[in-house]
Amino acid sequence: MPYPPPPSTPSGPRRRVLLVSAAGAALSAGCSAGSDGSGESAGGSPSLAARARVRAARDSRGLTERYDAVLGAYPALADRLGPLRAAVAWHTEAFGGTAQGASGKASEASASPAPSASPSPAVPETERDALAELAATERSLADRRAKALLDVPGELARLLASVAAAGAAHAYLLTEGTK
Amino acid sequence: MTERETERELTALQAALAAEHAAVYGYGVVGGRVPKGRRTEAKAAYDAHRARRDALVREVRDLDGTPVSAAAAYALPFPVPDSDSAARLAAWLEDRVAGVYSDLVRAATGERRGTAAGALREAAVRAVRWRGESVAFPGLAERAQAATASVSATPTA
Repeated sequence: MPYPPPPSTPSGPRRRVLLVSAAGAALSAGCSAGSDGSGESAGGSPSLAARARVRAARDSRGLTERYDAVLGAYPALADRLGPLRAAVAWHTEAFGGTAQGASGKASEASASPAPSASPSPAVPETERDALAELAATERSLADRRAKALLDVPGELARLLASVAAAGAAHAYLLTEGTK
Repeated sequence: MTERETERELTALQAALAAEHAAVYGYGVVGGRVPKGRRTEAKAAYDAHRARRDALVREVRDLDGTPVSAAAAYALPFPVPDSDSAARLAAWLEDRVAGVYSDLVRAATGERRGTAAGALREAAVRAVRWRGESVAFPGLAERAQAATASVSATPTA
């Protein structure tokens, strides 16, 4: 028997894509039962989902700003933090936000009534503390998202769960080796 | 919950269960190949997947389904002759598990969704431990970067 649920194609990535599209097809059939067929109607009102997205984008962008502040203070951490910061920027975009603070602020400001106008708070005085603080920030955001995903439609919940998992993985990478 | 929603959730639960069966088998292989220093970690992961598997069996029964059973044997996605490939296999297993749990998050609601999200999170952290680096969207194959899709999986049976 083949290793995972019986695949009909030989390559891993392609097989995964096929599995996903099969699941996606079942889903879109289910979603059309909702009121607007948008795929966001399964577990809450569209406005709830929209607000959750805006908030998630804002949180992720705030997190990239924390990474930037730490990177500004400790440029030597660039190799270690660069990939994590990049992932958080992708998260921001996945939630519909703009990743870059200054250049893209206008579009997000219109969607978010509470601009995080405060300049970056102080960065801890040692590299080690700065990493620990980033890890704690990642972890607490992941925890918040684990709760938020219970109240939103399925597709957004799936994205939130993935991003929360990424945050937990980041927290691990940020603390590993500094203990 | 409509009948269709229940059916969707059951399908996702069964897929998760199948992946956990495979993970339990796979970690049996991993445990035999990793260096001594990582055996505890492999054993902990093995135990975690067994516990998730058993919980999923109960969940499927709760929805009046018949839990899918494990295969007698599984073809590994690539040869696993040494500790490096064993770690890659472990990461691969966690990626697969993450994928089915993200789908279960979408299909489920309430407590079951929360549990699935927790399982996804654990799988993502274990994957990072084995791989040494993270992916941007654990469990979301459609968003996988080319670099993380480079591990090819070829069934041998």
